[in-house]
Amino acid sequence: MVRNAVTVPALTVAAPVTQAGEGYWQIAWRRLRRHRLAMGGLLIIALLVATAVFAPWIAPYKFEQIDLLNRFGKPLAPRHLLGTDDLGHDVLTRLLFAGRVSLLVGFAAALSAIALGTLVGVVAGFYTGLVDNALMRLTDIILTLPIFGVLLLLGRYFGGGIAPIVAIIGLFGWTTAARLVRGEILRLRTQDFADAARALGASQSRIIFRHLLPNALAPIIVAATLDVGGAILIEAALSYFGVGIQPPTPSWGNMLQNAQSYMWTSPWLAFWPGAMIFLTVLCFNFFGDGLRDALDPRLRL
Amino acid sequence: MQRYIFRRLLQMIPIALGISVLMFALLTLAPGDPVDLLISSDPRVKPEDVVRLKHLYGLDQPIHIRYLKWLGRTVQGDLGFSRTYKEPVTELMRDRIGNSLWLTVTAFVLAVGVAVPVGIYSALHQYSFLDYAATTFTFFGVSIPVFWFGIMAIYLFAVWHPWTQIPGLAWVLLPPGGISTPGVGEGLPFLLDRLRYMILPSIVLALLSMASYTRYTRSSMLEVVRQDYVRTARAKGLAEGVVINKHALRNALIPLITIMALSISGLFAGAPITETVFAWPGVGRLLVDSVIGGDYVAAQAVLMFLAVLVLIFNLMADIGYAFLDPRIRYD
Repeated sequence: MVRNAVTVPALTVAAPVTQAGEGYWQIAWRRLRRHRLAMGGLLIIALLVATAVFAPWIAPYKFEQIDLLNRFGKPLAPRHLLGTDDLGHDVLTRLLFAGRVSLLVGFAAALSAIALGTLVGVVAGFYTGLVDNALMRLTDIILTLPIFGVLLLLGRYFGGGIAPIVAIIGLFGWTTAARLVRGEILRLRTQDFADAARALGASQSRIIFRHLLPNALAPIIVAATLDVGGAILIEAALSYFGVGIQPPTPSWGNMLQNAQSYMWTSPWLAFWPGAMIFLTVLCFNFFGDGLRDALDPRLRL
Repeated sequence: MQRYIFRRLLQMIPIALGISVLMFALLTLAPGDPVDLLISSDPRVKPEDVVRLKHLYGLDQPIHIRYLKWLGRTVQGDLGFSRTYKEPVTELMRDRIGNSLWLTVTAFVLAVGVAVPVGIYSALHQYSFLDYAATTFTFFGVSIPVFWFGIMAIYLFAVWHPWTQIPGLAWVLLPPGGISTPGVGEGLPFLLDRLRYMILPSIVLALLSMASYTRYTRSSMLEVVRQDYVRTARAKGLAEGVVINKHALRNALIPLITIMALSISGLFAGAPITETVFAWPGVGRLLVDSVIGGDYVAAQAVLMFLAVLVLIFNLMADIGYAFLDPRIRYD
């Protein structure tokens, strides 16, 4: 893939002398494949996404189906592999459907946070001066907020559904991406290829979208991957406190909401949802870390 | 240096004001002011009472006037009166800040005490078994949901039976929550009792910071030992211990101290989850309880307190950095 649209042959000399015709993304993919933890993480993420997508076909029951005669069922029972909860929901079924919600929130919130952060970062880095100053002070203010308390508060006002939770996490999660993108844009905009594009008469949007952003894509992708795990953790915490996703819609966080009070009698209820969150976030962090190593050009040789 | 500190202080003012506006807006534009809540809980309130009460509490005034009045009161240390606790918020917070400090300080000491040696070892023995183990541990630490870790810790160390079945091991069972046994007395018994209650929550609270400090120590140390002056020190024939302690470590610690100063306030603000899981009567739990319970006067005060704490520690981190690293320019 040609990363800089400037088609002056001399500029491609900087490309790594590895295998002929191999582009940046192919090199990154080759490096990523060698990273065992990252590939393991990716594999498990793929599996989790698959079980989430196909939950209605895999799950033995409907997620809202309750069996009041069979509450607090122990795991490894013939009809309920992971037992039943305080209302007689099948825990395995709830876990599968909760995965849908938690993963959806994770991806959507990370995507909106990154989109917003990229927008702010590009505007601040490209236009500099007063705009940059104002946006960066806003970033400072948001970074100073006791973010968990604010999210808890907003969750209490607007929480309950998936869309508001995604919006809340996105609205307060963009600061890291904004700083990152701003730094990249500030660095890139003074480089020769940007000057060349400007000299050739390229419009501002062309410079930004064709020349600057593609070059800043690597750190954005890494941040997005790590953000998915972060968003899943935040959603879980909000739901645990009862201001995130509301039952009967299951999420891994709200499955833990009552579990603590049944710990003396039914400890398995608290185990599975948390273990799923842990596994998922761990995999995103492993994958994100591998991705960083693979995409970091400084490590290319 | 003095000019630098002064300038940083001046820069803090607009940010503090911005935060106060945001906080006020968040809590005031919330659906339902205190009087509305009162009406919904008491059907006998008459419409003329509502008007009278709204006037009494100044809720009928324009928003910017209310903001300025609130700001004025807050700056003078009057944080308002909590409806649910029937107490002035300042009183409410005094004990809780103390309780939170117990937990935060212990967790911080624990985190630094483990992370710095482990991080240094990891960096000096890169790719060794222990380095891999430590790196994996840092991934676990940042990925585990705090409340779940807390619940699991309570189950394993405060609930699970096999521990207590072994004769003479019943004392191993730790308290599942709370801060002290009623009537334990004072002095040493009090301290020992408090320590027993702090073991689980402080470990749970420390884990995240421990993981990130370990990561920072390792990478900071790795960067420093590659520097030319470390090679020079070795080439001079200095003992390895001197090279590491006097040349490498001291430089590696500079960025670390900044990160730690920045994160102490984070530790304080991160405590709500841990404090709630372990029923620890601290500031974090007050925040959760007041937000969930709709006591916005208390919530506003705690949020503002935490934000000011972050501002102060950020300033201290900047000043500390400038002091520790002579390469930093003050202008």
